Amino acid sequence: MAQLAETYACVPSTERGRGILISGDPKSNSILYTNGRSVLIRYLDRPLEVRVYGEHAYPATVARYSPNGEWIASADVSGTVRIWGTHNDFVLKKEFRVLTGRIDDLQWSPDGERIVASGEGKGKSLVRAFMWDSGTNVGEFDGHSKRVLSCAFKPTRPFRIVTCGEDFLVNFYEGPPFKFKLSHRDHSNFVNCIRFSPDGKRFITVSSDKKGIIYDAKTGDIIGELSPEDGHKGSIYAISWSPDSKQVLTVSADKSAKIWEISEDNKGTVKKTLACPGSGGVDDMLVGCLWQNDHIVTISLGGTIYLYSASDLAKAPLPLSGHMKNINSLAVLKGDPKVILSSSYDGLLVKWVQGIGYYGKLERKVVSQIKCFAAVEEEIVSSGFDNKVWRVSFKGDQCGDGDCIDIGNQPKDLSIALLSPDLALVSIETGVILLRGAKVVSTINLGFPVTACTIAPKGNEAIVGGQDGKLHVYSITGDTLNEEAVLEKHRGAITAIRYSPDVSMFASADSNREAVVWDCATREVKLKNMLYHTARINCLAWSPDSSSVATGSLDTCVIVYEVDKPASSRVTIKGAHLGGVYGLAFTDEQNVVSSGEDACIRVWKLTPQ
Amino acid sequence: MAVHDDCKLKFMELKAKRTHRFIVYKIEEKQKEVIVEKLGEPTETYEDFTSSLPAEECRYAVFDFDFVTEENVQKSRIFFIAWSPDTAKVRSKMIYASSKDRFKRELDGIQVELQATDPTEMGLDVFKSRVNL
Repeated sequence: MAQLAETYACVPSTERGRGILISGDPKSNSILYTNGRSVLIRYLDRPLEVRVYGEHAYPATVARYSPNGEWIASADVSGTVRIWGTHNDFVLKKEFRVLTGRIDDLQWSPDGERIVASGEGKGKSLVRAFMWDSGTNVGEFDGHSKRVLSCAFKPTRPFRIVTCGEDFLVNFYEGPPFKFKLSHRDHSNFVNCIRFSPDGKRFITVSSDKKGIIYDAKTGDIIGELSPEDGHKGSIYAISWSPDSKQVLTVSADKSAKIWEISEDNKGTVKKTLACPGSGGVDDMLVGCLWQNDHIVTISLGGTIYLYSASDLAKAPLPLSGHMKNINSLAVLKGDPKVILSSSYDGLLVKWVQGIGYYGKLERKVVSQIKCFAAVEEEIVSSGFDNKVWRVSFKGDQCGDGDCIDIGNQPKDLSIALLSPDLALVSIETGVILLRGAKVVSTINLGFPVTACTIAPKGNEAIVGGQDGKLHVYSITGDTLNEEAVLEKHRGAITAIRYSPDVSMFASADSNREAVVWDCATREVKLKNMLYHTARINCLAWSPDSSSVATGSLDTCVIVYEVDKPASSRVTIKGAHLGGVYGLAFTDEQNVVSSGEDACIRVWKLTPQ
Repeated sequence: MAVHDDCKLKFMELKAKRTHRFIVYKIEEKQKEVIVEKLGEPTETYEDFTSSLPAEECRYAVFDFDFVTEENVQKSRIFFIAWSPDTAKVRSKMIYASSKDRFKRELDGIQVELQATDPTEMGLDVFKSRVNL
């Protein structure tokens, strides 16, 4: 049996030039955000516990708790809103097709009866408000001509809805049934976020023109603004009120977050500026914020979540980060088994520590996309979509200067001889390339399309798998490969080959859902019928004592087989990663780490049956 | 496709007197007939059954599956398995597939039918999940 021990969650997906809207529940101290098709619920006091809702068919954009904390309404780019329960396994209550285009913001009414959603669509449907359980419309919302970026519901009676958008307008609607009352055009650029204060007296809009304007909540008239003195120097993307309605938090593209004090005569003055602790690149632009109880949360473009304490603003924030995109490779460092390195195709390398979670990003001198990578002790070898292989040494969190080797062809798979890390084998379309250190030692044209390769830890043997499913075993003498045997069993292109840590066996997996364990010396099949996946197998991993093999597949499952037992007595982990499992590794005999398309990493504890 | 009388007789014995755990049938190409290839003793198990099915050839099989329900009641189900592995010859698969229906109708009393294209599809967990339908 396998149990989920830890989840290293992904971060919210961000887009340059736009803010993101996150929300939370003050009662359970959790925040909600989206990444790809998943909605993530993260608990601020327990960062290793994450709950994921993956039922959207399209990328999700925003999610909100209902005022009583029982339901969550989440929206996606197809204009669909799904309302599901927070407890009880996320049971779906209702699903509505609200707009014809993507939904950018969603709000519940304070009594939990109505929902207003805004976004973009064709013709008139840019904003819609409806009853949460029946879907009937509760108002006519004309007045906007372009994408409506944000909307808000007045938290006290009499009910009002305000919306703002790309047409620089701020619209005010009275109801229910909601009708257009008045509109303001005081901003000179996109109005990014609009929020009512929790006491229902005022609302504020912030815009890409670096201004913030304060309005009266009942009448919609302008009553003040955020002082331009010491104001933001870049577009303001999001705003959040403090629970006592006296302060607001704004985040901006100038990489800082500011806390403003709103006085009785409705003027906002900067109380404190929270500079971003990052290195100051584009990735540090702040795009989202939330003020909940005592926590201040800001999110940067690079996806890092910074947690500040509202009562102690001088304290350094706690950074939480992770991957934003598909994690395609995982490596566990042999020296210290609790450190896990993961890479995603956008070139991000993250270091995780079991039990603690996010440890840090490996800062690389050159940021290029990564397709496959292998790590040995203090060195990382990675290859991307350009024809180069990088050998980078790293200590702690810093990567040293790397050596770049141009191999002339796009690498398809990469393997390092673990006991002599100088030697690396890279497979390309027509053959393999042997690398020693930073030099290409030989380029061998094998004559068949190569898909996967691996090199033995001692560097004396290599196995290459082809498109036709045949495994070719070569012995390495000096700089040449001599073919020793051709093994035929697979009925699909080989996707992964791995030697067992004790080098007595090797396992291979193909795109036809089958995996096979072979004996190295005799080259005979040791364990077959490992056919339990229902889609292509992406990755393979051996346990440190060579007793178990784990396979991860596009069908989102991870299956662990024991080499001594028949394949039917296997442990299946279903639904490990939405979208497919792409990386697998064992940290010790009992723990398997998997990563996948949902940009999350999960650690599973295996209990013997 | 002719069906040898022995097939039906042995099936009746399995149903009424429980003298066999399983029966493996083979289509004999030359006589164009379904014949009994192997009979399993009541003491033999599921493992013996899977080992008597060739990995690269098609077969029909009948298996008497014993299990215990949630209310602790001992029950049994008679399974008909159309064993058609992916690695078998296409011609063989075609012949077995086209004669299957007619052959099944001759055996009265089959409770569950299963088609398996590889060993994972007739695993014990698959048997257990099919008993209630």
